Amino acid sequence: MDKSYKHVIPTGHLYIKESVLEKGNVFGVSADKTTWAEGLDLPKKAEYTFFAGCGYQLMKYADGMMASVKTAEKMGVGMERVVGISKAFGKVGIDLAGITGKITAAGAKDVYTRALVSAVNVLKKLSVDLGYMGAEEPCCGSPLYYSGFAGDYIDNAQKNYVLFKSMGVKKIIGVVPACTASLKNAYPQYIHGYDLEVKHFIEVVADRLRKSSIKPFLKEKRTITYHDPCQLSRVLNLSKLTREVISRIGGLELREPEADQTGEWSTCCGGGGGMEVVFPELCERLAIRRINELMATGAPVIATSCPACMMQLIKGVSKLKARVKVVDLAEILDEALPK
Amino acid sequence: MKSKVQPLEKDIQALKKDVIEGLRQCSHCKMCVGVCPTYEGWYTQSSMGRLAAIYAFLEYGLGSEKELSKLLFSCVACRRCQNICRAMSAGTETTDLIIKARNLLVKRSEAKGEDS
Repeated sequence: MDKSYKHVIPTGHLYIKESVLEKGNVFGVSADKTTWAEGLDLPKKAEYTFFAGCGYQLMKYADGMMASVKTAEKMGVGMERVVGISKAFGKVGIDLAGITGKITAAGAKDVYTRALVSAVNVLKKLSVDLGYMGAEEPCCGSPLYYSGFAGDYIDNAQKNYVLFKSMGVKKIIGVVPACTASLKNAYPQYIHGYDLEVKHFIEVVADRLRKSSIKPFLKEKRTITYHDPCQLSRVLNLSKLTREVISRIGGLELREPEADQTGEWSTCCGGGGGMEVVFPELCERLAIRRINELMATGAPVIATSCPACMMQLIKGVSKLKARVKVVDLAEILDEALPK
Repeated sequence: MKSKVQPLEKDIQALKKDVIEGLRQCSHCKMCVGVCPTYEGWYTQSSMGRLAAIYAFLEYGLGSEKELSKLLFSCVACRRCQNICRAMSAGTETTDLIIKARNLLVKRSEAKGEDS
C-alpha cells in the first residue's frame, strides 16, 4: 500500500482517517474511552444501546491531536500510518504520548464526558432500559466520509453492522449528532437489510416527556440561547423537537438569535467537517462570529448538543473573554428532571 | 494489486459523470454565497465558487488538484448552502457535491498509486 494522498488530502484528514481505521477513534489515542461510564451501572445488553461516540468520550484529546498534526505538517511527515507518525516524532525527540498525556491529565473531568453522564441520567430518569457497549463501541466512521474516503467509510460501516448484530444491538440512542446521522441516514444506504432502529437522544426525551406526567423544572430561573448543531438541524431535522423539549422545562427561558441564524438556518460554529485540523484560524473566526450572534440575545448561557460545537464555542468564548457559559442541553435536562 | 486498477478507473468515470451532472443543476444565483459561514469576500470561499472550481477542473482541466483540494477542504460541510438552494433555488446538492469531489480526488490518487 504505497498510496499517497499527500497532495490532495490535508495532513489532518489523513491523520483522522488512519486513526479511525487503526485505533477505532477519531483522535488516534489508545486511551480507555469508557472511564466516564464507571459507576453508572450500564449493562452491555438492554433494550436500547447508548452510542456515546468518539466526540464526547475523547474530545479532551483534541488539543493533543491538533498539536501532533501541526508538528507533522511542519516536519512534512507522511501520514501513511499513525504508528509511523509517533516513530517519526521519536526520531527528532518529540514524545507524542507525552503531549497527549499532559492534556489528558489536565482534563480528567471534562465538560464533554460530563454531558454524557447527564444524558445517561436523563434517559434513566425517563425509565429507558439503557445499555452501553463499553470498549467495544466502534467509531461510526463519519469523518472518513467527510474526508473523501467513502470506500473506507462503507467498509467500516459494514464491519460495524456485523459487530452490532453479534452483540445483539437492536435499538440505538445516539448523542453525537454526526454519529447519529451516520448510523441513521447513511448506513441504510450501504448495508443491505439494515434493521437497527436509530434515534437521537432528543427524540427519545421528547417522546417520553409527551407520554409521561413528569414535568422538568429548574429551581433557579435561567435564560439560555440555543446553538443548533448543523447535523442535528439540517441532517436530522430535529430543531423543532429540541425547542419542544426546551419549552417543557419549567423556569427556563429561551432567547433565539435572528430568524436566519437559528434552527435550520443556524450558522456553523466552525466545528464541522473536520476543518479545525486544516484551517484552525478560519475556524476560530467562525466560532467568534457565531458567539457574537448568540451573545446578541443577551442570554448568559449558550446551550448546544454537540461535542464539536461545544469545543468551538468554549474556545471562542475564552478568546473573546466573554462572560457567557457554554453547556450541553443534556446537563440542563438532568438538573431539571426529578430524581 | 494491478487487477484493481481497471474497475477503479470505471468508478472514477462514473463518479465524475455523477458530479458533473450535479454541478450542471447550479443556476449561479449566488444565494449560497451569503449563507456560507466561511465567506469573507471571495466567491471561492462559498459553495458557488467551490462548485465552479470543481467544474472548471473536471470539464476543462483548469487549475490543479492541489488548489482544488484547498478549496474543497475549506468547506465545513454545514449544509446551510444546500438548505437555501433547496428552499429558494435550483436544489443543487452543493455540500454533497463537494464531498463527492473530495472522494474523486482520493480515487484519482489511488488509481495513480503514486509513491510518497
